[in-house]
Amino acid sequence: MTTQQRPVPAGYALPDYDEAFPDPDRVVPQALAEDAAKPVEQRAAERTERMTTAAALGRPDRVPVFIGAGYLVTEMGGVTRQQAYEDPDLHIELVLRACDYLQPDSLTGAWHHPGPSMALGDRSTRWPGHGLGPDGSFQYAEAEFMKAGDYDDFLEDPTDWALRTYLPRVFEKLEPLATLPHFGMASFGYYNLAHLAPMGSPQMLEAMIALGEAAKAQQAFLGNAARTSQALVANGFAAPPRYGFIVEAPFDYMSDTLRGMKGIFLDLRQRPEKLLAAQQKALKIQLRAVKDYRDRLGGSAVFIPLHRGSDGFMSLKQFDQFYWPQFEEFMLGLIDLGVTPWVFYEGVWDQRLEYLTRLPAGKSVGLFQNSDIFRVKEIVGDTMCIMGGMPVSLLRSGSREQIREHTHALCERVGAGGGFIMSTSVRELESCDPVRVRAWTDATRDFGVYG
Amino acid sequence: MTAELVDAIAEMRDDEAVPLAEKLLETGTRPIDILGACREAMAIVGRRFEEGEYFVPELILAGEMLREISELVKPLLAASSDVAKHGRIVLGTVAGDIHDIGKDIVYFMLDVNGFEVHDLGVDVPVDTFVEKVRELQPQVLALSGFLTLSYDAMKETVEALVQAGIRDTVKVMIGGGTVDEQVREYAGADAFGSDAMAAVTLARQWIGVAA
Repeated sequence: MTTQQRPVPAGYALPDYDEAFPDPDRVVPQALAEDAAKPVEQRAAERTERMTTAAALGRPDRVPVFIGAGYLVTEMGGVTRQQAYEDPDLHIELVLRACDYLQPDSLTGAWHHPGPSMALGDRSTRWPGHGLGPDGSFQYAEAEFMKAGDYDDFLEDPTDWALRTYLPRVFEKLEPLATLPHFGMASFGYYNLAHLAPMGSPQMLEAMIALGEAAKAQQAFLGNAARTSQALVANGFAAPPRYGFIVEAPFDYMSDTLRGMKGIFLDLRQRPEKLLAAQQKALKIQLRAVKDYRDRLGGSAVFIPLHRGSDGFMSLKQFDQFYWPQFEEFMLGLIDLGVTPWVFYEGVWDQRLEYLTRLPAGKSVGLFQNSDIFRVKEIVGDTMCIMGGMPVSLLRSGSREQIREHTHALCERVGAGGGFIMSTSVRELESCDPVRVRAWTDATRDFGVYG
Repeated sequence: MTAELVDAIAEMRDDEAVPLAEKLLETGTRPIDILGACREAMAIVGRRFEEGEYFVPELILAGEMLREISELVKPLLAASSDVAKHGRIVLGTVAGDIHDIGKDIVYFMLDVNGFEVHDLGVDVPVDTFVEKVRELQPQVLALSGFLTLSYDAMKETVEALVQAGIRDTVKVMIGGGTVDEQVREYAGADAFGSDAMAAVTLARQWIGVAA
């Protein structure tokens, strides 16, 4: 193990795993010892291969385990979440130590970084130490940033509307953008220079400085994320899937950051044509953005968290009209671009799993939160790699027997034939018990070997 | 004509409902009867939601119609015109969590089913829950939380009720996000629910109201 070479963070104290959960039946120590004997490069390569094979609907040597550890890494390290955000090296250290203890194939730590939001005076997010206590949880604060009366402007020119109306509402430091002339005039070249004057106001210059700071913070975050991946590989683990680029189902695009849930559902009843037209804009804009991401940065995967399409929010009839067709078209467009969508089917999708079989086989990965994971396997097992299965509540207070039993069932039934990445119901394990998490990864090694 | 108003609201004809309420007022219908019609309509909406005919968009639109009509009518009401309620429920999203969507749907369903609901909002400190339980003496305390972090706040809230010696005076239900039986046990709640109807069913059982 490599832990000895790194400084131990103050306060880092974990229970001895074997003492905390004595288990005579475990065959894992042998498997771990075999792994540990391999050169680091080989371990990393095997784990990477395991993840990518399963993601492409294939059958690896054993069921891979991906841990979206989130703030668990800071809890294990005895530091606050704010401290981890403020000290990227400490965060990397915490991720590596969590990997050493939990022995997954791959793992991610704390969610993103508050830097860009802080630089811009972001009204839509709350972060540890910024709007929350030092150990609070990142949260998105949905609001009606787009009003019903904004649809016409959005449809006319979404970019100009976003720059001059939307951004000033969401980001305090970008309020001066509201004073600028219409961006459509930019294509008027020399003649438009006459309208540049508002750009030079002291407020506008301050806004530009804030924007520069946010961009620098984002660059730093991306650099640290890349360093984290490199450190994982250097220590024998797989880098997490490269799905840093977030896009959304066209309906959720209009809902999450623009209209909010109340607004979007009123639109669905009161102005359906405008909502549908706006979704077409959202679809095209996002496909174009992903194409650029692929061409310029070599992006090969995107993350799509699905929100208002799950069971319980809208009827199937409404889903057929307002959600699924646009989402399906979007998915096909992304797949055409050669990009793999990692889709988080948040909430419960039990009533609409059949829709997912219409997606091309092996071209996307589905992370499932509270859907019946065994039915998910039955219905979409031939369509997409399934990720999830372990409820976080079990990793907080379940017994060792419960954890092993459920893991066994997951490996046997959801793991059958491959195309399964063992993971938790949500990509955040705050307040979970590291010993129980380890019991789960161990059980996956015990039960997840393909014959 | 109040029957027409009931129908307009229940059938989601929002462009008709508010003008109809205005007309009723002008032609001498008592404000209290207009509110009565609204209540009747909301009960239908709630029932259709339970039966899976209506979903969240319809709850929200019905809520909007009710809000607009109430704004018209309420200033004209002389004294308190509250009808008798089944029982009292205190509701809120626990400390550290600012999610309100699930809580608001639960509020709506409890309200249209005739319970007196006191919504304490989001990120409610443990002490506030204890204070309000002591002050309002509800039969039910409903704790909502979306984050996994909220399980701890739920547990702390229940423990604080024990500390204050009032745990036995109130039934505690929890809901939201990934809440399940495991979390219920961890938090020390009396029951958990996976949707808004479960909250209504539990409240009816605990308070002793027929469905």
